[in-house]
Amino acid sequence: MRIAIQFYSYFADLAGCAEASEDLPATATIGDLMHRLHARFPKLAAMDKSTLIAVGVEYRPRGYVLKEGDEVSLFPPVQGG
Amino acid sequence: MWNAECEMKRELKITTEPIDERALVASRRMSAGMGAAACFTGVVRSDEEGQSISAIEYTAFPQMAEHQFNLLFDEIAKRWPIESVRLVHRLGVVKVNEPSLWVEVVAPHRGEAFAACQWLIDEMKRVVPIWKKPLP
Repeated sequence: MRIAIQFYSYFADLAGCAEASEDLPATATIGDLMHRLHARFPKLAAMDKSTLIAVGVEYRPRGYVLKEGDEVSLFPPVQGG
Repeated sequence: MWNAECEMKRELKITTEPIDERALVASRRMSAGMGAAACFTGVVRSDEEGQSISAIEYTAFPQMAEHQFNLLFDEIAKRWPIESVRLVHRLGVVKVNEPSLWVEVVAPHRGEAFAACQWLIDEMKRVVPIWKKPLP
């Protein structure tokens, strides 16, 4: 299945792009996706512990099982106000 | 007695336009039973982590920011007897001394108005995807 990924804030600078996509096997989790992304974008791997992850507009844990068409967003801690 | 079934009014604006506090206050609506309107204005400071700055550039994941704000408003409606919440968050470049955030909570008494306002801002800083980049 194909998963779309968006990077926000300085994560886009670290990745060198604002969007990417990955082809993953069915039943892959966000954790599986993160393995792929860290290999592809090593600068993001260093931020792993502080990375926030959403699918659509909801926060999701790394064990979340992805499905075709999911849009995953990765970003650093938020700083509104 | 607070009736959680009552609909809490809510207004949310995430905008690149300057925040007009005077116009916001002038447009306040309070029913006769309301005795408190707690307002908070967040203003850009001239220093960020010890560095002198001229402005902050705010960016967001807008659809998710709106959704997360609405989840926070839902939670406020469950926790406190609030008549209305209005929140404006600015995006883009906001210069020093200009407001980046404006929040108003209207309630029967100051206790719940202050508590809800404080909670909303604390939670916003935890879950709403907005980021800031200090500009020299």
